[in-house]
This record gives sequence, structure tokens and C-alpha cells, in this order.
Amino acid sequence: MRARLIGPAAAVALLIALPFIADNYILRIATSMLMYAALASSWNYIGGFAGYPSFATAAFFGLGAYAGGILQSKGIPMVAAWLIAGVIVAAFASAVGRAILRLRGHYFAIASLVIADVLREVINGMTGVTGGGMGLNVPVMKIDVTTQARLFYAAMLVVAALAVVTSAFLDRSRIGFGLRCIEQNEDVALRLGVHTARYKTIAFALSSIYPALAGAVYASWVSYIDPAEAFDVLFSIKPIIMALLGGAGTVAGPIVGAFIFQAMEELVWRNFLSVHLGLLGLIVVLLILFLPQGLLRHRLLRARRRPLLVKAP
Amino acid sequence: MLYLQVLVNGVLLGGLYSCIAVGFSLVWGVLNIINILHGSLIILGAYAAYFAFTLLGINPFVFVPLAGLLLFVLGYGLQAGVINRVMGASVLITLTLTFGLNLILENAMILAFKADYRKVVLDPPLGLIEIGTAILPRDRLYAMLLALILVGALYVLLRTTRIGRAIVAVRMDRDAAALMGVNVERIYAVTFGIGAFMAGAAGSLMSVMFPISPLTSVTFLGKAFVICVLGGLGSIPGVMVGGIMLGILESFGALWLGPDYSTTIAFVLLLVLLMFRPTGIMGKRGFD
Amino acid sequence: MKLSPAALLRLLSRFAFALTLAGVSMAAAAQNMILIGAPLPLTGGLAPEGLKLQRGYDLWAEEVNKTGGISVGNARMPVKMVYYDYQSNTPRAVQLAEKLITDDKVNFLFSPFGSGATKAASAVSEKYGVPTIAPTASSVEVYDQHYKNLFGTYTPNSTLTEPIAELVRKNAPQVARVAILARNDLYPLALAEEFERSSKARGLNVVYFEKYAIGTLDHASAITQMRAAKPDWIIATGYINDMVLVHKQMSDQNLRAPVVTMINGPAYQEFIDATGALANNVTTASWWHPAARYTSKDVFKSSENFTNLFRTKYKVEPDFTSAGAAVAGAVLQMAIETAGTLDRDKVRSALRDGKFATFFGPIAFGPEGYANSYTPPVLQIQGGKPVVLVPADIKMADFGLGV
Repeated sequence: MRARLIGPAAAVALLIALPFIADNYILRIATSMLMYAALASSWNYIGGFAGYPSFATAAFFGLGAYAGGILQSKGIPMVAAWLIAGVIVAAFASAVGRAILRLRGHYFAIASLVIADVLREVINGMTGVTGGGMGLNVPVMKIDVTTQARLFYAAMLVVAALAVVTSAFLDRSRIGFGLRCIEQNEDVALRLGVHTARYKTIAFALSSIYPALAGAVYASWVSYIDPAEAFDVLFSIKPIIMALLGGAGTVAGPIVGAFIFQAMEELVWRNFLSVHLGLLGLIVVLLILFLPQGLLRHRLLRARRRPLLVKAP
Repeated sequence: MLYLQVLVNGVLLGGLYSCIAVGFSLVWGVLNIINILHGSLIILGAYAAYFAFTLLGINPFVFVPLAGLLLFVLGYGLQAGVINRVMGASVLITLTLTFGLNLILENAMILAFKADYRKVVLDPPLGLIEIGTAILPRDRLYAMLLALILVGALYVLLRTTRIGRAIVAVRMDRDAAALMGVNVERIYAVTFGIGAFMAGAAGSLMSVMFPISPLTSVTFLGKAFVICVLGGLGSIPGVMVGGIMLGILESFGALWLGPDYSTTIAFVLLLVLLMFRPTGIMGKRGFD
Repeated sequence: MKLSPAALLRLLSRFAFALTLAGVSMAAAAQNMILIGAPLPLTGGLAPEGLKLQRGYDLWAEEVNKTGGISVGNARMPVKMVYYDYQSNTPRAVQLAEKLITDDKVNFLFSPFGSGATKAASAVSEKYGVPTIAPTASSVEVYDQHYKNLFGTYTPNSTLTEPIAELVRKNAPQVARVAILARNDLYPLALAEEFERSSKARGLNVVYFEKYAIGTLDHASAITQMRAAKPDWIIATGYINDMVLVHKQMSDQNLRAPVVTMINGPAYQEFIDATGALANNVTTASWWHPAARYTSKDVFKSSENFTNLFRTKYKVEPDFTSAGAAVAGAVLQMAIETAGTLDRDKVRSALRDGKFATFFGPIAFGPEGYANSYTPPVLQIQGGKPVVLVPADIKMADFGLGV
């Protein structure tokens, strides 16, 4: 049992020590990795545990970014702006979830995808408040670059940690069990007394909070956001790929997937800038064709799992 | 007078929209796959027409069937070679796969053609027709007519030819069709190919009206979604109705809410429909 | 616990990755040249403009290096431009700006194209204290952050709209109704709002003012509505690709008016090539034109010389975007030479306080960071070429009515 803890303990130690040993550039990359770890873990609640293919992550992220950014530009202190943004988006997700969680499969996927588009267009049009197509400048902090880098790294670390803890909690809780039943067969689950509608809405709302927080932190971090970027569909797609890569429906899967995918992406982006999207596409295709269950569930790497939750091959 | 012109604008565009969406609808209805590649296939068809025009002098309207054929081959190959492996898998898997394939295709196009906008400039320009107070640009009029002819041809194909009947059979009940001797895998590939054909044809038509760039592919994909949900899956008349309705809605929406909101309307409509009537105006209760 | 193989994988990937980075940073250390970073939209919707910028920079760098480089104190150091393609995607431009500073370790930066991206990337320059010259940012909104490191060579948008509005009032007094169509982007929208102000100040009636989304391909609805509003003066703002499209679709719907102004587009040869005879009498404005006749203390010595050098190297006439890029280099060079050092603080002061006699015009940066020291030319397409109407000393023709 002790041996199993060394790996994660070392990783956590590294994460905490990083701001003091790494330069700004590495910190920036690490911050980005943590952000995606948060996004991927969050998606997992509704996509992995419940099996509802949600493409709404970008909607939550972008809305969180704009909420946080606008609040800050009105003078609200940064961290308060972040938290308020999280609350706003969670409320939004609950409301929207009630409407679209009734849909299944493709229709749910499209509906969740389209939310981001609608939000983007609405924000694009509200030029007075959001700057519209001109973008929103979030006030830059008057502290030196290195301290800023460490600050944002710490903020993302907290968001990612919270997302993972929530994931672990869901995994072991009654709700998580219910979500897994929904994923296996929703109609049967309903008949067996699982509160499907309530659980799905909770999972959906939870899956919105951390992307919202990440988005708000992101807006403060980069100091400029515009609608096309904040609601970029890649913020929906990449977390899904990361979760699939590591193993959807597991706690550690999305985190592992996020780090590995980001490392690959950084290497590709540095060296193959002009083909990097195509290479990413290729990775996705190979992943889907040959590793659809994810790394953590691959025979070579599979750890011992509790018998109840083993999926049929 | 203003309203008449707005209506005309919408209808002209709507015909073209139907052609854009019909291939997407067919693939979704028969293979149960949302083909994220669809927008890029349209653009590829447009590029084919552009190069045929600038290098060989072939008029894009004439090139339409050729563009379609080229894309048919590509589509057939893609389905038979790659997509076939995930037939029957979950929405997540198929959607992500076509998304990945799309990234590859888009990047390839950007590398090959650069992301700059290309325009087919017909010389002399086709000009316009005036009917009363309404102005119909000839290029849009021809594009609309050709688009509707193509969609109509597809409808006839599905109703009267053997392969068309086989496709419909697979859509209605795949296993029963297999039992009746239909080679389901081949039908899947053919259907995907036909979807690509229609995309390529639409692209060729569009190359005269709009600038071409790989960056615009996602716009067409979005419209295809909306039209499918508007008109309902599994129905070609539905796609026609959906396409024209979308054209008209966008046109009037731009009038009442401003041109920058015209795409928003489409998406809001999509959401509303999904929530209250996912089968659309004329669709049959199909796959969910 | 399920985490063991996962954590191992994570650690491994982290280390491999850190090693890669270490390797790269070591390579960037060696330096006996002046590195200037320029994120450019070499592909995407703004690609035409990106390539123009690159040409301007390359020509300047070439001319400077012919003389041995920029004189820094007693030595001459050659110049090296470092480019990255941000694919017309603003956030990528911001990331690349940061990469250029932290990774490629450039000494100075040139902003990405256009007001929007310039403003976005300026936050990065300010964070790191890197003097940045903006070759294509004219909107005062870009400079409202009170940053110290941003210097813009373009005069504000009002210096474009006022002369044109004045021309219209003098030469076409019957013009009463104005229709404005603007791209929903920082510069085009800001410019459109300036036009609205200039029109209203002269008692004109703005009967239509709408924005179109970035990337719009179909302007039919907007054009239909403009036609219904029966305007005498149509103003459209956007970038080259937008203007070509709007113009074509205007003629598709037979929309004509006594005065048609489009910015940015008609000042470029690409626009004229794409629109042909239909472009006659379209007015536009720009910040420079090959007809300019300035003598200068920069590496080009005079406007004519710049135009000749550009024509020889690239076989086309230079336009204001390429010239803007080249003058950004020229100004930076003069500032470094005045400061006598590459120290960023000293160069920043030299930029702030200097008066630069360039081939582009006399440039002096105002307190907010942008220049307001010269008169940008107003142009009109006549007989298939852009001719200068204003300022009077390089005027080539009179205002023509009717499009």
C-alpha cells in the first residue's frame, strides 16, 4: 500500500515546489496543464461517469472568463470576481441543464455544443459591456512578472485540485454510483429508483463550476479575451480527448490524459507549428481507433480495480 | 419592397443551404454519424472548382458533377477505410473521430492552399435580373436552381434506384436489411460517398458567390446542423424546407436584429427546437 | 490505490518535457545581433496584410544590414527579425508575443497587425517592459491603458475621417444621408464611430449604422437594408477581404451612391485587381502613399528612395502597410542610435522624447503613445489607380462624384 503512494506523493511534491524551481516559461506551461486537468476532470463527471457526451465545457469556460473579466474591470477584486463567476455559471448550467438533459445521445451533444455558440454571439453583440469583437481587456496587476506567474500557477493548482477532489468524492459516493448506473442503462436505472434527473443536473452543474473558475483565472492571467477565443470549441474538445486518453470514468484518467496530451501538444507546437493541428487530429484518430478505453484501462497498465465496476470488454 | 427583397435574398440562399445540408442529413440518418468533416468537404469541393476554373477555365457551374465525383471517391474511401471501424460505437467516439479527421483535413488544406481567401471571379460578371422591385443576382439564382435540382435528383435516386432503396432499407432497419441480402458495409460507404458528393457539389456552387478558405468550413457545418434539426432527419423534402426556412429566417433576422445577429438566430432556433421538437418540422422519429 | 501507474507516467512526461525545454533555452543564449520579434498573420483572413508587413520589415532589415547594422554606441550590430505566424488568431498572437520575449529573448517587439491584436499583445509588452512599436494601430482605444511601452506610428482615426468628411461637404453639398457598415472589430468599428461623429458634426443624417461579424461572407441583408435607406454616402469599414466582398455584393444588388468610402481596401492594388472598373470613384484614406515626397534622416533617406528600393525588390508598388512596417524599423533604429545602447529603459526614453524625420513623414509620439505629427493622405480611385486628393502639397486630382 505504501509503495503505491510514492508516485502520487512525488507528483504532488513536484507540483508544490515548481514555482520555486522553474522559470516563467515552464510555469506558464504548467499552469496551462493544470487548467486542462481541471477541465478534463470536470467533463468526466457528466461525460465519463454519466455517459452524457457534453460539449458544453467551452460554454462554461468562456462564460466564466467573461463574468470574471467584466466584474474585474468594474473594480471587483480579482479572487472575489473569480468566485462570483463560478456561482453565476453554476446557476446558468443548472438552468440550461434542466432543459437539455432530457435529450439523449446526438441531440444532447449538439445542444451542449451549440450553447457555446449562442453565448459567443450574444457576448459579441453586447459591445458596450463586453467590448464585443474588440475583446475585453482585464486590468493588468501591478506586480512583477515572476510573482504574477507564481500567483496564477497557484490559483490554477487550487482549481485543479478541487476538481480532482470532487471527482474522487463523486467516485465513491452514492451520486457517483447513480451516475454510473445511468451510463450503463438509464431507463433501467430510473426504474430501479435512481433519481436520474436530479443526479444528471448535479453532475452537469458540477461539471460547470471548475471550468468557470478556470476561465475566470484564465481571463485575469492573459489580460485579454475575445468571444471567438473564450468560447473556442477546442476548450470542449480537448478535455474530452484528454479524458478519453487517460480513461473516461476514472478519477486519475483525465489528469493523466491532460498532462500527457499537453506535453505532446507543446512538443508539437514548438517544432511543427504549421502542422500542429493536423498532428493533433492524427493523435485523436489513432486514439479513437486503437485506444478508445484510455491508457489507464489498457491491459498493460491496468491497476487492480474493484470488481463491481469492471466494464464489459 | 424591402420585405420582398429580404425574402428573395433568403430564398436564394435557402436553396443552396439545402444542398449543403442534404449530404449531412443523409449520413446522420443512415449511418447515425454526425460528420464533422462535412464543412471541410464542402470547402474542398469549392477549391476543386476554383482550381478547375483558374487553371483549366472550367466554369464552376459546369464543374459541379465533377466536384461531386471527386468528393464521392474521397468520402467512400474515408468511410470504408477509417470510419467503418467505429460504426455502432457511442456518440462520443464517432463524433470525436470525425472531429480528429476534420482537423487533419483542415490542416492539409491550409498547407496546400494557404488560408488566404480565394475568389472565383467570372469575367464577364453574370449580372443581375430585376423582377419588379426585387433584384436577383444571377450567380445566386443559378446556384439556387442547380442546388434544388441536385437535391431533387437525390430524392429520386433514393426512391427509384436499387441502391437508393437499399440505403433507405438500411436506415429503417439495418439488421433486417442485412437479412434481405443488402451488403450493409458497402451501403454505408456508398452513403457516406453520396454525402460527400453533395458537399462537393455545394462547394462548387458556392465558389462563385463566396470567398473560399479552410477557415470558413465551420460556418457551413453549423448551418447543416440547424437545417437538419429544423427539417428533421430522414426526410429530403424536410431538408429542402429546412434550408429555405433557414435562409429566410437569417435574412429577416438580419433585418430586425442587425446583420451581426443573423447566425445567432439560427443557433437559438436550434436550441429551442432541440428542447421542444427534436424531430423537426417534417422528420420521422429516428435515431436518438 | 489506483494512482501509481498514472503518477509514474505523469512524472516521466514531466521530466522528458523539462529536458526538451532546457535544451531549447540554452540554444537561445548566444547573441551578437539585435533580435526584433514580430508576430504576423501570415495565414488566415489577414494574411494579405501580414505579408505586407513582412515585406516592409525585411526590406528595412536588409538595408540596415547593408550598412553593417544599427550603430549602438561604438559598435555596429546587425538586425535579425524573428517571425511567428499567429494565423490571424489574436490570442495566438499574444502567446507568440510572450514566447518571443521569454523564449527567443528578443530585444524589442513589433506589434501584430491591426488595432485589436496590438492592444491584446500590448499587455504582454507592458508586463515585461519591452518597448514595442505598433506599425498598424490607429484607434485611440488601443492606447487607453496608459502603457509606457507601446508606440504607434499611425495617427488616430479621426485624422482619416475629418478630411474625407470635409471633402464631401465642400465638393458634394447635396449629400445628406449617410449609411455606415462596420466590421465588428476594434479598428473598423472605432473608425466607423469616428465617421459617424464627423458626419454628424457637419449636419449629415446617419440613416443606417450596423456591424457585421468577423468572417461574414454574406452581406446581402445589410446591403438590402442600406439600399432601402437611400443613402447619398456609403461608408464601409473592414480589411481587404471584407471590402472586396462588400463591394462585389453591392454591385450584385445594384447599390450605388454619389459617394462611396471604403477603408481599408482601395488603397491596395489587390482591391483594384479584384474589383476592376466598378471601383471607380471609391474614396479611401491611408497613412502614406508612394506619391509622398519626404526627405528623411533614416536609412532610406527619402520617400522616393524607399519606393524605388521596394519596387526593385518586390516588383510591386509599396502600400501604406508595408511602409508602416519599414518605418517602425526605421524609428526603432533611430531611437537606438540616439540612446547609444540596447538598454530597454534608455531606448524607451529615446522613443518617447524623439522627433524622427522619416520617409513616412515626421513622427513624434504623443503622451498616450501614438503619433499625431503628420497628415495622412485621402485617396480616390480614378482610372484604375489611387490618386491623392489631400494633402494639398501632393494632390494629384480633384474629387470625383458618383459610384
